Amino acid sequence: MLIRRNPLVMLICIELMLNAVNLTLVAFSRQLNNREGQLFALMTMTVAAAEAVVGLAILVDIFRVRDLEDVDDLSELKG
Amino acid sequence: MQALALAILLFPAAGGIFLGVFNWRGSRLLTAMVGPGVIWAAFVCVLILLGNNVDQDFTYWTWIRAGSFEVPFDILIDHLSLFMCLVITGVGGLIVTYAVGYMEHETDGSYARFFCYMDVFVLAMLILVLAGNTVFLIVGWAGVGLSSYLLIGFYYWRRSAVIAARKAFVMNVIGDIGMILGAFVLFVSYHQVVYLKLFPALPHTPDATTELAAFLLLVGGIAKSAQLPLHTWLPDAMEGPTPVSALIHAATMVTAGVYLVARFHPLYDATIYAHAAVAIIGAVTALFAASIALVQTDIKRVLAYSTMSQIGYMFLAVGIGAYSAGLFHLLSHAFFKALLFMAAGNVIHALHDDQDMRHYGGLWHDMRRSSVTFLAGSLSLAGIIPFVGFFSKENVLGEAFSRGDGLGYAVWFIGFVTAVLTGFYTGRMWWFAFWRPASEERPVAGHLHEAPLVMLVPVAVLAVLTTVGGFLQIKAIGGWALVDDFLKPVLGEERIRTNGLEYLATVLTLVLAALAFAAAYNFWIRGTWSPAGWRARYGWGARVLERKYYFDELYDWAFVRPLDRLAGFTDREDRSLIDTGAVDVGAYTERGAGALSLTQTGFLRSYVLVFVAGVVIAAVLVLWRASS
Repeated sequence: MLIRRNPLVMLICIELMLNAVNLTLVAFSRQLNNREGQLFALMTMTVAAAEAVVGLAILVDIFRVRDLEDVDDLSELKG
Repeated sequence: MQALALAILLFPAAGGIFLGVFNWRGSRLLTAMVGPGVIWAAFVCVLILLGNNVDQDFTYWTWIRAGSFEVPFDILIDHLSLFMCLVITGVGGLIVTYAVGYMEHETDGSYARFFCYMDVFVLAMLILVLAGNTVFLIVGWAGVGLSSYLLIGFYYWRRSAVIAARKAFVMNVIGDIGMILGAFVLFVSYHQVVYLKLFPALPHTPDATTELAAFLLLVGGIAKSAQLPLHTWLPDAMEGPTPVSALIHAATMVTAGVYLVARFHPLYDATIYAHAAVAIIGAVTALFAASIALVQTDIKRVLAYSTMSQIGYMFLAVGIGAYSAGLFHLLSHAFFKALLFMAAGNVIHALHDDQDMRHYGGLWHDMRRSSVTFLAGSLSLAGIIPFVGFFSKENVLGEAFSRGDGLGYAVWFIGFVTAVLTGFYTGRMWWFAFWRPASEERPVAGHLHEAPLVMLVPVAVLAVLTTVGGFLQIKAIGGWALVDDFLKPVLGEERIRTNGLEYLATVLTLVLAALAFAAAYNFWIRGTWSPAGWRARYGWGARVLERKYYFDELYDWAFVRPLDRLAGFTDREDRSLIDTGAVDVGAYTERGAGALSLTQTGFLRSYVLVFVAGVVIAAVLVLWRASS
């Protein structure tokens, strides 16, 4: 994610990270015999869904305004 | 009757609200009808109450209740308050009617604003005299100060008017403070605010409490009535339109102090020093103001100083316990001074607002009707028989003379000298402004336009009252005394004159005042004696009088300048100490924000980098903690 510049790919990266965490949570839950991990995995899925919705919506809006290839072009909010 | 007593207040209140809120830029005709109309309606209410011989304290509701402190909303109708109401609504009605013509050149908004203020002023003045307790009195007292501020500053685009209004307000507030403290002392000592319960509770022998309360109330009285040393606002208040000068600075507001002393006469009768102070302040102010009036050239300022002088006579009268003599002079002064102001207003109106007497002349020829009425007022002011001023002034001086003690003779003598000076400056005003041939500097060269009917009729009514009003009370020639009889239920019996000498004193005063009036002719018309020659010989005296005894300079030096310097000091300290601190805090915050804003690069990937770095550090910390 750090080296990618395509916003869509960055979103996919975030998605991958969240899923990795999910996997970890489920694995540890099984290992330690603790249900909370599995509950937490469900939480993460919800958050991931919300994140995908918001992120994609922002991206769609940006693409409507201009043709974007590189996230570094989005630096108008520089302080 | 209870509703009618309240209606006296409700009519002007309704008029003020209507003009101020609903008819702000509405019909001019409606304004000209409502403005004076509501005051005449109040006048009719007063007449009906008088006709039914009402003498009662009407309580409407409890206004304030806090523990044992209870203030009712009550209106005291007795002969004293009805007497004052007659003056306020009667003479006030004439003046406001006159203003319909005088203010005709104003824009629609200013026209309505003027009558709104006038009605509010009359309302406040009526509250002042009708109040049945000290708290309600203070409401009227402060209301009068506020509305006079508004009226003096009516031409708010003129800097001098705004400054004069502010000066009047500050002086009046000094008086208000004395007034409030006085009422406070009375309440703390006697636990009463309602007059009819307070007065029987007062002691009959002098003690420190009553002296203190009487002195504090007197501070309020002298500020409102422009007596020494709180008088400096009155001459400057002539910046207001002339009907305002007639209403406030002649007929009603400035007499509030006299009313106050008469209303609180049980208190003043119980004191020695405060009561004598009233008489002495009155006498000294009378002489002081009359001497300044000798050299003023602005016709309204001459009238203003003569007002101060005549109010001084009233204070003198109430100060020696001759209350109804003081109130008779109040009535007479309301007639002739309102007349003088309005006749002078006709002239000022015709001469395009020029008030300098040196530019006048030829008025007897061009404005005969206004001149005749002005002459009636002048002779009355000078105290010439048979005008009302003669009878009332004689009454005051006669009471002082027949008192027969040192104070009585002293104030009589000052009053006598003042009467002669009054004759002289009134004569100067008359001969110099009206009688002499037209000045070359006159702003209107040709024939002058006499005032319209709406301005002439009120002046004519007052001229008639000035001429025949004196026959209400002709003690000077040993006749009846209707004013004394009318006020007897409130103020008690007047002294019977035992001393035959006072008639001699009366004749002497009359003759010398008339001679002084005539002597002014020699000065300004015949030129037998030249004012310039006298000025050359007594230049320093003229300078002192022209500078009004340096009172303004003294106050400037004693109060204004030190306060100015204190303000300058705090201003500098504010800039160097407090402002610098505040500016520094702002500057450091800004610089810090500047440094932090570098982190907002706008590059998404740099944020991700920081985020990852943070996660790595957190992970390291957790692992390190767990391992140790």
